[in-house]
Amino acid sequence: MTNSMLIRTVNLHRQYQMGKTVVNALAGVDLQIRRGEFVALVGPSGSGKSTLLNLIGGLDRPSQGEIWLDDLELGRASDKKLVAFRRDRVGFIFQSFNLLPTNRAWENVALPLMLAGARRVERQARAELLLDQVGLGDRADHRPAELSGGQQQRVAIARALANKPVLILADEPTGNLDSKTGREVLTLLQNLVHDENVTLLMVTHDATAASYADRIVHMRDGLLDRIEIVERPELVETTA
Amino acid sequence: MNMKDLLRTAFSNLTRRKVRTSLTSLGVTVGIFTIVVMLSLGVGVQREIQKQFDAIGLENVVVRPRDAERNDATRYLRPQRLTAISPEKIAEWRALPNIVSVTPVVDVNESISKRLRQPGDDARSEAINVDIGVGITNPFEAPPQPLAGVLQPAGNGQIVISQRLVSSLDLGSDMATVLGKPVQIVLESPRGESQTFDYTVVGVSNSEDRLVALTAEDSIALKAWWFNDPDLLKTEGYDFALIKAKDLTVARSLVPQLREQGFRVQSLETVLDLASKVFLVINIMLGSVGGLALFVASIGIMNTMVMAIYERTREIGTMKAIGASRSNIRTLFMAEAGMIGLFGGVVGLLLGWLSGIGLNMVALKYLEDNEVPLQGNFFVIPPWLILLALGFGLLVGIVAGLYPAARAARLDPITALRHE
Repeated sequence: MTNSMLIRTVNLHRQYQMGKTVVNALAGVDLQIRRGEFVALVGPSGSGKSTLLNLIGGLDRPSQGEIWLDDLELGRASDKKLVAFRRDRVGFIFQSFNLLPTNRAWENVALPLMLAGARRVERQARAELLLDQVGLGDRADHRPAELSGGQQQRVAIARALANKPVLILADEPTGNLDSKTGREVLTLLQNLVHDENVTLLMVTHDATAASYADRIVHMRDGLLDRIEIVERPELVETTA
Repeated sequence: MNMKDLLRTAFSNLTRRKVRTSLTSLGVTVGIFTIVVMLSLGVGVQREIQKQFDAIGLENVVVRPRDAERNDATRYLRPQRLTAISPEKIAEWRALPNIVSVTPVVDVNESISKRLRQPGDDARSEAINVDIGVGITNPFEAPPQPLAGVLQPAGNGQIVISQRLVSSLDLGSDMATVLGKPVQIVLESPRGESQTFDYTVVGVSNSEDRLVALTAEDSIALKAWWFNDPDLLKTEGYDFALIKAKDLTVARSLVPQLREQGFRVQSLETVLDLASKVFLVINIMLGSVGGLALFVASIGIMNTMVMAIYERTREIGTMKAIGASRSNIRTLFMAEAGMIGLFGGVVGLLLGWLSGIGLNMVALKYLEDNEVPLQGNFFVIPPWLILLALGFGLLVGIVAGLYPAARAARLDPITALRHE
């Protein structure tokens, strides 16, 4: 069942030059993620989890090894292909939301569609649909400054979904939210994974946040430390 | 990302810092304003001059014979003619197509002492000049008007004299009675001989100078006696000829043709060409002042755009992460810089246009107060100047945006996203 594996990394290395010393951010990572899976990457800072996320998102290139996303090897793909990959197949969610301050909520959601060249009416329709889905249907014309942190993160989630991506990458999505709002956002993400069959890879150092995932990958010193499968009987009940 | 979205995004980015955008584009405004005012003045004045020249008649071509170079041995002699304007030449030119008239002119004024008197009246005579201004009028003077009779003698033995001569020779108070009266021109050579020539007055001009007008043949006769050379017309020809062409194009094509035949040719067109060159130089100089302002303005735009990169680093990182290509970012920043330039250009053009109208009113008022009978528009904005102003504004912005845009496009998304 290799084709059910969305992401495969093979002996992934990433080295940084920090002044005169070479830092091994990743020292040979072999990770496989199935389509439709919610995976949390946890570990102390400097363990390489963000580096891994950036590599899988096509924002960075490995020093050695391969990253396969379906049949696309990101390490050797051209810049143009990487741009198209980020635009059409991946959605990013950031810790500090990173919405464009001058754009309305719907325009922020529609930004990937604009970059892809979709028409404005189509973009607006899709954006409003997504905002409805994240519970912000009545906030489409608000600007980020007029929204709470949780609402902004929901807009960002809607933006990540705009291009119907196969993969969503979230870097500490609850890091700037209070715990109640954080739980709401995580529940939303969890539901999206199960309802829309998207794959979610989330970096966090919050054990509670990680517990929403199907699998928790622990990293240490640029290597996979251990993989933990989350038992969630109540979820099995609801899907059954 | 399509063009419309690009421009909309660029515009919305500019409007978030309205004061800064306006101040930055003010530099371009000053530059474009200067260029527009200066160039429109240049164009306007040039057009006024052209109009004046047109009134004089650009279709006139003056042909002169060519003299041999004089050396130390011959410098005090009469110059040897290399090419002479002979009566045959005149006939030849008259036969050319599209020629209105060819007038041969003889200049008898060079050191030839000549006096006008009533026949036999030795006591009262006046030194005179022979009018050579055939068909060429000074635009800043009213052309001479006939007070009686004609302005140009039609046949040999006829003479037109100025009203000044009528009164000083006491030929009569009523100009009409002067017509038909006989007068004499007396030449006195340095060798002590003198000769009288008889004429009949056929016209009186309103000139205040002591002027007479003769036919070319009569003038030649004066010179032939003076230089003691009966074949003067054959050897030296006329002093110059005025060729009036049908229009400017004919006149223009005539000039090189005549030069080829070895004549010296002068047309007002040539003078106008020279004037145009002078104006070109002036325009370039004035334009450079505006160019300098634009150069400074472009540095301002560059500074603003580099600052915008610092402020928007995370945004750039975000856009790159969610799928903006380098060229998306580059064109966005270039569009923003270009818009600042274009905006400055539009405002500069409008201000320049309004100032032109205002300054023109002031200039006309000044001319009117000084009783200069000149009407017209000294600040003209032709279509090319509009395009130039807007194009330059845009160009300055885009050029100034090149470096910041390249820098923004180069930003590493990971670093940019980490930026505080």
